[in-house]
Amino acid sequence: MTTQTLDPTALPNLTEQRPQRPWRKRTPRFKLAVVLAVIIPAVVTWFLWQTSTIPTPVLLVAIYLPMQLIASTLASIVTRGRRGIADSIVIVSAIGATVFSLVILLSLIGALIVRGWKALSPSFLLQNNIYISPSTPLEYGGIGHAVLGTALIVFLASLVAVPIGIATAIYITEVRGRAVPYVRFFVQSMSGVPSVVAGLFILTTLIVTGALTQSALAGGLAYAILMLPTVARTTEEVLRLVPDELRTGALALGSTRARTVFRVVLPAARTGIVTAIILGIARIIGETAPLLLAAGNSDQTILNPTGSPVASLPTYIFNNVALPYPDAVTRAWGAALALMIFVAILFTLARVLSRGRLGR
Amino acid sequence: MSTAEFESVDVLESEITTPAAAASTELEARNVSVWFGQRKVLEGVNMSFPKNSVTALIGPSGCGKSTFIRTLNRLHELLPGAALAGEILYEGRDIYSRDVDPVHIRLAIGMVFQKPNPFPSMTIRGNVLSGLKLSGMKRSNHDDIVEETLTAAGLWTEVKDRLDRAGGELSGGQQQRLVIARALAVQPHVLLMDEPCSALDPASTLKIEETIRQLSKEVTIIIVTHNMQQAVRVADNTAFFLAAENEPGRVIEQGATTEIFGNPQDERTLDYVSGRFG
Repeated sequence: MTTQTLDPTALPNLTEQRPQRPWRKRTPRFKLAVVLAVIIPAVVTWFLWQTSTIPTPVLLVAIYLPMQLIASTLASIVTRGRRGIADSIVIVSAIGATVFSLVILLSLIGALIVRGWKALSPSFLLQNNIYISPSTPLEYGGIGHAVLGTALIVFLASLVAVPIGIATAIYITEVRGRAVPYVRFFVQSMSGVPSVVAGLFILTTLIVTGALTQSALAGGLAYAILMLPTVARTTEEVLRLVPDELRTGALALGSTRARTVFRVVLPAARTGIVTAIILGIARIIGETAPLLLAAGNSDQTILNPTGSPVASLPTYIFNNVALPYPDAVTRAWGAALALMIFVAILFTLARVLSRGRLGR
Repeated sequence: MSTAEFESVDVLESEITTPAAAASTELEARNVSVWFGQRKVLEGVNMSFPKNSVTALIGPSGCGKSTFIRTLNRLHELLPGAALAGEILYEGRDIYSRDVDPVHIRLAIGMVFQKPNPFPSMTIRGNVLSGLKLSGMKRSNHDDIVEETLTAAGLWTEVKDRLDRAGGELSGGQQQRLVIARALAVQPHVLLMDEPCSALDPASTLKIEETIRQLSKEVTIIIVTHNMQQAVRVADNTAFFLAAENEPGRVIEQGATTEIFGNPQDERTLDYVSGRFG
């Protein structure tokens, strides 16, 4: 074999090269097919929308979607032959489904903002509802008492559900006792308990018997029943993701099983456990029925966890939205908007907190 | 066989390996057989490990080497369906007798795994000291321990300025030396190493081999390796494991490394160490 020597002057001038994406080069035929496949169904649908009396949803689902599917399929056949059919069907349905769910979500948020925006003000967030009647103008009264009540109830629920939920997950993944299949089945069934049943359970076992009155504690216990399965199952999932090498590694250093769990496995899963707790809170924070039964309602700011009924955002919304006064309904929408903003803040906070320096 | 085949090996072994001096036996396996469920994976292993010697276990994949060393510090029993017969004597006592706490055995007989497994939630320093916390062992002067063990593992100069960074930020070779330091911090008498260099580049491998030779002055080392040159470079004694098809693994031949590689008695050992199969 001979060695080739490269003549530097024979090389093309590399500084003139520009980055290119040859895999994206399209033929004019392809571009034309795509443009037609997008424009024709849209124009036809728009024309029908203008001229006919077909209701808009029917028009979109029964006419536009099938037409778009057929157009995309034809475009694929023209550009790529029969291989393109499955591709185009999958792409159109995926985009359609995504747009559909985004539209629902955005219209929900839009409705909240449009109808609730008027009510939002610093005083609305801070004041309570004493001396406020449904016909009082919007400038007076607020949801401060309900925000504090919800926070108190969720805090009490977490105090109960988080330790028990994490302990359950540890039993399932780390202790691996004989009862694991039964425990898992039980937790799974528990996540199907309707929230009103959780409220009824607390009402009949604790309130009717006189052990508690309607209060933040009773509401928190009802919430805890709903929160527990979410925390337990999510924590179980994240503990499963902790590699077994870490457990074996700890045991090989002479660790007991308890120390392995508390000093190696749980810290390694810390981020996921925070997520599990947040998901548990998000699961319960808007539940109304258990609080109507177990926590009651109040117009005052109550910080005592036992002894008296307490307000919360869901019951505030529930009580105001059905009243025949426009301002009361606006207050309900404002409270709903506030609730959604709180949940959004909670999720953002969880994302930021879990981005720690260690344990990624 | 041609003599030329072993020339390169001879050069290496004259450089490094000397047959183990007749020292007292620290760890001994007597007639050990191992099962997973109904499947017997290892049969009748007899082997003794002299104090402060390095023993290499070689053989093709699936012949039970890793399973065997996991029986030596009672990690085997953590796997589902694990069973075992025979005795393993540590300082003359069966580690599987009922009054022995596996936690004490694992503290005295440490282990380094194939895949580096630093604890992700801990810093480099925290990883080194984690064994003390996990085992509840009391040792003072943590700073000295960190420096000492990281130096012994050949990592100190590379990490001394960033002991508070996460262990997971290190490269694979550095992580493996970090977990060696972690294993040393609890002062084990025996160190089991399950293919510690299989995921590492040649430079890191050489560093770890150097570490092994340093450690063998104070610690008994048993190392599983697929790299025969590595066995020649670091081990006083070598045992060759082999499993025939659908049969449990057995020890075909064991003895001084120079003998196993230079003058093997069994045809299969010769075939394996000369690279004809496996």
